[in-house]
Amino acid sequence: MVALPDQAGTVTPWWRNRRLIPWLVQAAIGLVVLVVIAFLVGNLVRNLTAAGLLLSWGWLDNPSGFDIAETFLPFNAGLPYWRALLAGLVNTIRVVIAGLVGATLLGTLVGTASFSSNGLLRRLARVYVEVIRNIPLLLQLVFWYFVVFLSLPNGEQAIQLPGIVLAKSGLFLGRPELVNGVWQAPLRFTVEFGALLTGLVVYTAAFIAEVVRGGVASVPMGQWEAARSLGFSKLQTLKRIVLPQALRVIVPGLNSQYISLAKNSSLAVACGYTDLYSVAETTLNQTGRAVEVVLLLLGAYLVIDLVISALMNGLNHLVQIKER
Amino acid sequence: MTSPLMIEASGVEKWYPNGFHALRGAELEVRQGEVVVIMGPSGSGKSTFIRTFNGLEDFQKGSITIDGITLSDDIRNIDAIRREVGMVFQQFNLFPHLTVLENLTLAPVLVRKRPKAEVQRQALELLERVGIHEQAGKYPGQLSGGQQQRVAIARSLCMEPRIMLFDEPTSALDPEMVQEVLAVMQELARDGMTMVVVTHEVRFARQVASRVVLMADGVVVEQAPPEQFFTNPSHERSRQFLRQIA
Amino acid sequence: MTISFQRLRRELFATPLDGLISLVLIGVLLAAGSAFLKWMLFQAQWTVIQANSTLFALGRYPIDQQWRLWLLTTLLALATGTTWGLLRSGSTPRWPRNDLVAAVLLIALASAGTWALQLPFPIQLRWWLISAGLLVCRGVAGRFGSSLPLAVRRGAAVVWPVLYLVGMVLISGGLGLMPVPPSEWGGLLLTLLQSSFAILLCFPLGVLLALGRRSELPLLRWGSVVYIEFIRGAPLITLLFLGQNILGFLLPGGLAPDRVWRAAWVLTFFAAAYVAEAVRSGLAAVPSGQLEAARSLGLPLPQALIHVVLPQALRVALPATVGQFITLLQDTTLLSLIGLLDLLGTARTVMANPEFLGKSAEVYLILAVLFWCCCAALGLGSRALETRLNTLHTPVKA
Repeated sequence: MVALPDQAGTVTPWWRNRRLIPWLVQAAIGLVVLVVIAFLVGNLVRNLTAAGLLLSWGWLDNPSGFDIAETFLPFNAGLPYWRALLAGLVNTIRVVIAGLVGATLLGTLVGTASFSSNGLLRRLARVYVEVIRNIPLLLQLVFWYFVVFLSLPNGEQAIQLPGIVLAKSGLFLGRPELVNGVWQAPLRFTVEFGALLTGLVVYTAAFIAEVVRGGVASVPMGQWEAARSLGFSKLQTLKRIVLPQALRVIVPGLNSQYISLAKNSSLAVACGYTDLYSVAETTLNQTGRAVEVVLLLLGAYLVIDLVISALMNGLNHLVQIKER
Repeated sequence: MTSPLMIEASGVEKWYPNGFHALRGAELEVRQGEVVVIMGPSGSGKSTFIRTFNGLEDFQKGSITIDGITLSDDIRNIDAIRREVGMVFQQFNLFPHLTVLENLTLAPVLVRKRPKAEVQRQALELLERVGIHEQAGKYPGQLSGGQQQRVAIARSLCMEPRIMLFDEPTSALDPEMVQEVLAVMQELARDGMTMVVVTHEVRFARQVASRVVLMADGVVVEQAPPEQFFTNPSHERSRQFLRQIA
Repeated sequence: MTISFQRLRRELFATPLDGLISLVLIGVLLAAGSAFLKWMLFQAQWTVIQANSTLFALGRYPIDQQWRLWLLTTLLALATGTTWGLLRSGSTPRWPRNDLVAAVLLIALASAGTWALQLPFPIQLRWWLISAGLLVCRGVAGRFGSSLPLAVRRGAAVVWPVLYLVGMVLISGGLGLMPVPPSEWGGLLLTLLQSSFAILLCFPLGVLLALGRRSELPLLRWGSVVYIEFIRGAPLITLLFLGQNILGFLLPGGLAPDRVWRAAWVLTFFAAAYVAEAVRSGLAAVPSGQLEAARSLGLPLPQALIHVVLPQALRVALPATVGQFITLLQDTTLLSLIGLLDLLGTARTVMANPEFLGKSAEVYLILAVLFWCCCAALGLGSRALETRLNTLHTPVKA
């Protein structure tokens, strides 16, 4: 028999009490975290006060003093900062929505191409994904902007297709006409927007292609065989039988890719596109209000993420097959 | 003089977080050298009960004393109990990333702080005892189910426990491998190990058990020597159970 | 020959639609391919790379101290060769096809690459010697590795942390060597430093976060959740921005570590959240019976985690974790947006030089190839490690 003091009837000392120990551990960690936070916040307040930059929001009403190259909403240098930031936010939302649509289309195409009967198409899809995934997005973005879009010809040498003109000054849709050597049209997109959009779409589509491929691959072979024996063509099978089942797996994967694209849109500053981050950076450089600007930035992207997640979760509920 | 009391459980009650009352006052006494077989319908709490003996399951009321050590909130007690109680699981739970020999030597070296060479020697002897000597360098994934369970038994024995608990040790095995494991357990019993076995194997109980315990609805319904239990049980619940498994 | 014709027909022209697609694709590929080759061989001016190769590689590292970096590169090459050989020791054939391909690529790079960059002969010679050294170590380790005791082979992994510390001293100075401040690190050197620092530190941090996330203690669990979700909701550039601008306010007297270190720590904390998610799914894949078995043998919780649960969890989490490391390597390019001179940042300053204006295509192409090779190599290495670990422990249905 093992001899031990503290047998039945005595009280367990606190440091060996297994119900108490987890709480002690948490209390200790909590204390350390609190002390560190108090230290950091204390310094923050002290340093901000010394610089006269204590947390306030009134400066948002001051005139911004800078121009925004491309805005959906009208904007000029005399308007306050909050309108500048709003314009930036709208720009971000614009490119994110367009990017999500484009990337989903291209990604689905490439993803289904990997099941094509055409060997060349399959291999090209594979090469596309493997190449794009291993090159940094920022590098791809500057490539599209500096090497492709900025090399577009201008004026009369612009690329002209029916109803569309692609020039260094932008993409013109509608009825583009050349006025004094400058193109004009009812709908105009800048090359900055074009480069950012192209880069985001091409990059994200590679990942979405993998998600789609994984989703389609998760549908058991038996489904394909059953459909074929019922006389469906390959395309019909895909559309009506396989894709609805594949969506159960695809939608959650798409959620994370969409959020990724939304966050990656912040690299717009490399393309000269004035998105929220780029406007925020300029604002901070002018006002020095680092804490407020960063809070606004983090908050805005968090909201965008939450909105995307909420929408995708709703979609998820729709595609989940009700099981008994 | 009666042999010392190894397991003393009285009034044990357990509620799961969802409110389910799993153990409703279970009681058991096991003396040294006894082989106690616990049977009962599924959901009766038999696995839960023996898992309270080495602290894998908590309980809210009652008391359990193992080899004189009370199961309390003191982690020293729990650690001491776990060193003395070995457990064999239905799913073997061998460590797949370690060889068979490493599975056996891990705990004695780390917990009892014994020198590695000595533990390895003991481990090889144990493996020979359960008949798996040649497999010492293999990984669990390369062994059959019956072999894995025998390794699991050897692994527990390597810690030199005074009590061995078995939680449905043969339920996950293909029928042709059940006998090899039961044979090992029978030999253990012959060597005088104190054993508590949850199982459905009636023949094993008849041949090896000192006592058969029937559990149902979270309590011990009846305890009797195997012959008496299987031919003439006193409780209606026991008779009902025997009819179900006949 | 007939066999390949049949195969071609089956793969490319199985249906009329397929045939049409094939023809279109082949046409496009030929046109694009020949245009690209024409540009690459005749129009592209590669002097921009050749003239700035040192800048791309080392940034503004003082020339008279560069011998330290040569020493480090040599040590790294020898260690890589030895580790590679040890990983492959005991495999048949001794040089599998992938290894042969890699060796050939290495030799080609060392010879043709250095010639293309028009490096002076002594430097070319150094690269040849270093590559030869790497391959020799690979050969020797592969040949004799399996005869070494297992403990020595596993212990050889300790050379990497040691080498890392040695490398840090060689790069930054101290211990009798002249200190070189981080502001003078640049180019490939800075990129590799930032990514290796972040990779090394984000891993243990990520494991701790994953354990905390699965803990039953509410403070640890919710703390981990808040951290992980906060990081995952923020774009990296915003966090780098935060690090550069706000860190100074968080410390007394406004003093803050060098910008390079600030960015390195932000990368670390950023990647840790993602690694935590990968490790978390690894932990979820380990059956709960494993921990129960370990505890019932008497192992205390920390030892049960270290010896039983984590080894299994990390094996499952390996592919996703290495994926995060690859992403981290790519994310170092964002440092160019906060004014640090990593590889991309150096490239942009080079192109701002009026002498090299407009050569962006050449530079970005080389950078793209470089990154692609590094990331693809990491991916291949991870798959090789995966295969090796799996062949040892795959359960066999007996």
